[in-house]
Amino acid sequence: MNSFFEWLQTSALGVAVSEVWFPYLESIHVIALALVFGTIVIVDTRLIGWTSRHLRFTYLSERLLPWTWGAFIVAVLTGSALFTSNPEGYAGNGPFVTKMLLLLLAGLNMLYFHKVTYREVAAWDAGEPPRAARLAGMSSLAIWVLIVTLGRWIGFTI
Amino acid sequence: MEALHTFSEWLSRTAFSELIQTTNGAIAMIQVVHILCLSTLFSCALLLALRFMGRGLVSDTLQQLAARLAPLIWKLLLVLLITGLLLITAEPERTITNLAFYVKVVMLTLVSLLTLWLAASARRGLTSPSPLHMAAAACMILLWGGIIVAGRLIAYTQSY
Repeated sequence: MNSFFEWLQTSALGVAVSEVWFPYLESIHVIALALVFGTIVIVDTRLIGWTSRHLRFTYLSERLLPWTWGAFIVAVLTGSALFTSNPEGYAGNGPFVTKMLLLLLAGLNMLYFHKVTYREVAAWDAGEPPRAARLAGMSSLAIWVLIVTLGRWIGFTI
Repeated sequence: MEALHTFSEWLSRTAFSELIQTTNGAIAMIQVVHILCLSTLFSCALLLALRFMGRGLVSDTLQQLAARLAPLIWKLLLVLLITGLLLITAEPERTITNLAFYVKVVMLTLVSLLTLWLAASARRGLTSPSPLHMAAAACMILLWGGIIVAGRLIAYTQSY
């Protein structure tokens, strides 16, 4: 793994990111992450039943989630490019590793919600979401707050 | 410029600034709150801007959407200002003498004025936004993007 990280860091991409592109890629990464988090907050708070209760859940999520996914793809691409600037440093950084694990957990939470709770969305689409949906919304919100927190913490610890 | 340096040195030696500087994790936590609020505000502004362009949450009228989002935007802006002031107090040398910080402040002023005008137009019952409204809505989103970039670039820009 170490030789792969070394190759990555000394590759043309790794050198270019490290010497020139890091601040610009990081700026795009932060904009994308802001959009991911912000749109998730709006969808999750509807799921919990705190906001937008007059809107159907499917209506709100269909209009916002394409933005979330688009921004998420940009965040992954820019995040991967940033990683090449110091792969060994990031791989050995506690907040970074925890952030990656939480991203995985956010994905699993979303997968469970879509495969199980969302199947009966027609029953609660316009009204109060069931306990399982509210729990999924709260978990997602907590995980994403932690992801953003850890993202900032990486800057202080690497 | 000399006056700014003197002011920032004085500010960094005040008891309140020293308290933030020496409290473990305080600056990082304030930054996290700042980023979380900025992210939520950015998405609320995006929803409002999209509605001015006839997209997004079109089941709400502009008036209804502005009535829901504008108060939230102002509250989040207030938290942004408070956390921003705390960060300036904690690390004045990093911001007060930094060009990227002033670019951010100018953009923040402009976006606040644009939001004020758009929200007021929506609250008056505007149903068909003019091209000027749409251009202002697009500028609002570009400015928020610019604010995020300028905020990040403060860390990379040389202070004078």
